[in-house]
Amino acid sequence: MHRSPATERLRGAAAAFLVACLAATFLTAASPADSPVDVPEPAGLWEGALQGYTPKTLAGATVLDGPQLDALIAGGSVVLVDVSEAGPTPPNQPAGRLWRPIHRAIPGSIWLPGAGSGTLTPPEQAALADRIAALTQGDRGRAIVTYCHPDCWGSWNLGKRLVGLGYRKVHWYPEGIEGWQERHDTAAIHPDETWTRRAQDGAGP
Amino acid sequence: MRMSHRAAALSAGLFLAALAAPVTAWAAAGDDAAERDARWKDLQQSIFGNRPVETAKPLVRMDLPDRANDASLVPLTLTIADKDRIKGLYLVIDDNPAPLAAHFTFGPAADPEELKLRVRVNTYTNVHAVAETKDGALVQTTQFVKASGGCSAPMGMTDEEAMKGMGDMRLKFADAAPGKPIAATLMIRHPNFTGLQMNQVSREYTPARYINRISVTYGGKNVFVMEGDISISANPVINFAMLPEGKGPVTVVTQDNQGGRWERSFDAPVASN
Repeated sequence: MHRSPATERLRGAAAAFLVACLAATFLTAASPADSPVDVPEPAGLWEGALQGYTPKTLAGATVLDGPQLDALIAGGSVVLVDVSEAGPTPPNQPAGRLWRPIHRAIPGSIWLPGAGSGTLTPPEQAALADRIAALTQGDRGRAIVTYCHPDCWGSWNLGKRLVGLGYRKVHWYPEGIEGWQERHDTAAIHPDETWTRRAQDGAGP
Repeated sequence: MRMSHRAAALSAGLFLAALAAPVTAWAAAGDDAAERDARWKDLQQSIFGNRPVETAKPLVRMDLPDRANDASLVPLTLTIADKDRIKGLYLVIDDNPAPLAAHFTFGPAADPEELKLRVRVNTYTNVHAVAETKDGALVQTTQFVKASGGCSAPMGMTDEEAMKGMGDMRLKFADAAPGKPIAATLMIRHPNFTGLQMNQVSREYTPARYINRISVTYGGKNVFVMEGDISISANPVINFAMLPEGKGPVTVVTQDNQGGRWERSFDAPVASN
């Protein structure tokens, strides 16, 4: 089969990218310092694939390691926000198949799946701003922690948005659920209903 | 056929709706054990109904690493103590999205003392092996395993490459000795796509395509039937043993959830002194 050089180049780039992603998959609980590449902070939100190496910093926010997160939680009154993606439900499941997805995260967290996207629609952005305002009871000085998984841009993006919304104590925990479960119990949590309802209402044309 | 991004988003929405239904109070740290136990009780009810599952004297020993190097390829050995009493074996990986990983039913040509296979583990979870005896009792063994992401880890190649040679099977026998069980290793080429693996280039989920049934017969007698799901690793490798009295070929039939069916017969080894 004939392939154009452009296609070949694309395939090469795709293969290299896959290798990078695969490497990322097996780097469990990698701290951002372990990133083999030095990723600069983008000027705005990251709009590419959410899985990939992230920067070591987030301007306007504090980057936490495990012990720092423990100390912050011990201080109380922290809003923990998990922006992990929800897995898909495969279509056409055979009757009687046992299908019981479960999501384990830091106990006490609010799960806002999809909120880490760099391309939220204006209604989704409004829903997110409302939800965060409600969760912090309108206090922009309230401590907030965003997280998902290692090498996940979603929590970086949410942190960036919150800084932009004027929150003054935004924390990003890049080691995410995998980092947490190395040291602590996790809890099964469900998507935040208010966010899910608003995000669904607001999504799509 | 691929799932479009919109379809993926829609099904993610359905997933959310399914998850959102029972909203529990925040679990405080330390509730983990109780929560895991509640999960198992629920799964047990779904799989076995009201049948009691004994815990007192386990019939199965389960060996798997406490911490897996590769969550999509976790080696698991099941050793059965009272093998003549055993009719079947259920393997449940509690926190995988499809928790019932495999159900083995042994036939008259089986020597069910030891089974080995490789599984996917999606998050730190309990794994349960439940033996079913010929008189209908269920006896469980459990172990906790630390691994995560095994069901969503991409395979590191294109889907087309992963599906190349799908259904090819090999069966290797250990050296046979007269009167001794015949140890065999079954290797099947099949990606066992979970439906949760996102192609990192196209950003689409590869549709689930997994082996849901493997049957092995020896000279027309059943060795085992395994009903499987996405928790079995890609390119399954299963170690098992057969009783030596069989006459005729060993035939393996593999089927998947997309209607794939592959059959191959192998010559059983001849015992040498």
